[in-house]
Amino acid sequence: MISTYISGDSWLHRLPAGWKLIGLCIFTMVLFPVESPAIAASGFLAALALFTVVGREGYRRLLALRSVLYLLVFLLIFHVLAGTLTSGIVAVFRLMTMVVLATLVTFTTRMEDMLDALNPVLTPLNFIGISSRRIALAIALVIRFTPFLIALADELGSAFKARTGKRGGVRLTAPFAVLALRTADHVSDALAARGGADGFDNIDEVGEGNTPNDQ
Amino acid sequence: MTNDRMLVYVSFYAALIAALGLFPLFNIPFLGGVPITAQTLGVMLAGVMLGPVRGAVAVVLFLFLVAIGAPLLAGGRGGLGIFAGPSAGFLIGWPVGAFIAGGLMRQMKERSVIVSAGVSAAIGGIGVVYLFGIPGLMLLADLSFGQAAFGSLVYIPGDLIKVALTAVIAQSVARGLPSALVSRV
Amino acid sequence: MPYLLSKNSNPTPSCEPREGVCVSNVSIARGGRIVIENLSLSLVEKRIALVGLNGSGKSTLVRALNGLISPIKGKVCIHGVDAVKSPKAAARMVGFVFQNPDHQIIFPTVAEDIAFGLRQAGISKSTTRAQAKALLREYDCEEWADRPISELSEGQKHLVCILSVLIMEPEVLVLDEPFSSLDIAVRTNLLSRLKHLRQQIILINHDLDVFDSFDRMIWLKDGRVEADGLPESITPLYRKHAMEVAGRLTPESL
Repeated sequence: MISTYISGDSWLHRLPAGWKLIGLCIFTMVLFPVESPAIAASGFLAALALFTVVGREGYRRLLALRSVLYLLVFLLIFHVLAGTLTSGIVAVFRLMTMVVLATLVTFTTRMEDMLDALNPVLTPLNFIGISSRRIALAIALVIRFTPFLIALADELGSAFKARTGKRGGVRLTAPFAVLALRTADHVSDALAARGGADGFDNIDEVGEGNTPNDQ
Repeated sequence: MTNDRMLVYVSFYAALIAALGLFPLFNIPFLGGVPITAQTLGVMLAGVMLGPVRGAVAVVLFLFLVAIGAPLLAGGRGGLGIFAGPSAGFLIGWPVGAFIAGGLMRQMKERSVIVSAGVSAAIGGIGVVYLFGIPGLMLLADLSFGQAAFGSLVYIPGDLIKVALTAVIAQSVARGLPSALVSRV
Repeated sequence: MPYLLSKNSNPTPSCEPREGVCVSNVSIARGGRIVIENLSLSLVEKRIALVGLNGSGKSTLVRALNGLISPIKGKVCIHGVDAVKSPKAAARMVGFVFQNPDHQIIFPTVAEDIAFGLRQAGISKSTTRAQAKALLREYDCEEWADRPISELSEGQKHLVCILSVLIMEPEVLVLDEPFSSLDIAVRTNLLSRLKHLRQQIILINHDLDVFDSFDRMIWLKDGRVEADGLPESITPLYRKHAMEVAGRLTPESL
């Protein structure tokens, strides 16, 4: 499964996912009322130090979150213009700390473990007809079809270029959507042929009523 | 529409939101690095095409995957850190925006697809999303309303392009594959 | 499938005969048009070829076998299971391999997809994974288990589709033009694998060479059986017809 997980064997990796999530929540709540720039800054430094458990790869990947940095620069400019520099600095440090810590939890937790940890939260959804099996199936479909859709868009782009010599750009979004949705129809047929979202448990169900769709 | 088909459609829109963010074709470079991606186009489409509940579910599914660590947000980002950043309010606004867009699409059944899709996408995908995004900025970044609103302005031109695209796409789907315009079936 | 049937309180609607596939007086409509009209067939041979020009109703017919499409009248019976009354039970009996593997493969990695059918039958994750790996080992591709689907070649994807259907131990294997995007070498290899299976096979294909050792060939035309018999006797008739039609085709009728 594609994921942002960084494999390792640190204490943070071994800590159960549920604990990490709860810890993150508590820390966020503690951090929110802080008003002193010094405390906010040291919180940030502590979070950065904690990052050593994921090694150099972790710091390298953290840089991928640069886009947040642009926003933070804008934010600071706003605060300077409004003459509230101190609260601006606190806000920036607070945001960076939260981003760093939350990212750390993601880097040290497998997606499967995260899902398992969230299971108790998701179980109530059973009552409105969303079983954990459906959630698992939906997740698998998204992970499977994201690269497929990208390849499809790529193919469409090349076809357009071959015929016109130009890049298709936004002009291709509409044909792309139609093509993708047509695929979705085929996929639902294949899913039905393989027992459907509910599997073969309710094998007696009469009148499934699968809409025949035209090829 | 059967349960199977709806499950696949919901997953497909979630995958579509992801693909729109990862595929460079749809990235609109704007204002020196401020990332403007086509992912909100996926959000608008989910609402307009799938209707309120399914559209919102598709967006929630996408965000859920991002939260548990799938790198599906534009630029291959993912994980809980995204929801701790200053634009978290916008992300929370996405499913609500899709819901409202889908509801409006249903309300305007008598109007032409292109017009109702455009209006729904504008109100749901811009109005509602900013309704969550701006207070999010105020809270998380300690900004005043005016500052937060002004800072969000840079995204408006891109969002208007996406509204137009949503309208055009909904129209071509209504013509090319009417059964896929679930909000109208 | 004892573990499946034992779960149910009321029995699956059954029908006669208990062996083979039986289609009686079936009419099917698609998109408001009658595609198959009053068709009856009894399929007991092990290797059955289904041929016919585009639009003759082949794909529609096979989709009625596993309950994907419900006929507007008539009865479809798969090894004693009524496919109209209990499409799920029929889907369990009939393994279906589609034309495009990208439409069929649901999961991101090979082992997950192959295990899916068994998971559908309520078997635990670890057991199904072990069984999927065992099947992959049997076909000398154990190292595929955790490979992402997006990195497989077309031929490999086709094999994954066939394996994820075979792991369910269906009684009948339906393949709807499974070879159209494959080169001759891969096609020959997959075909010889198919020929060794114990399952009854119903194969739709436009290239008639693949039907060499088949037991029976059914030629559909406009939703009716035009000819039915040994491939040796049907192939020349069908080829002749196809050539005649080819001469008459206009752009409008392509």
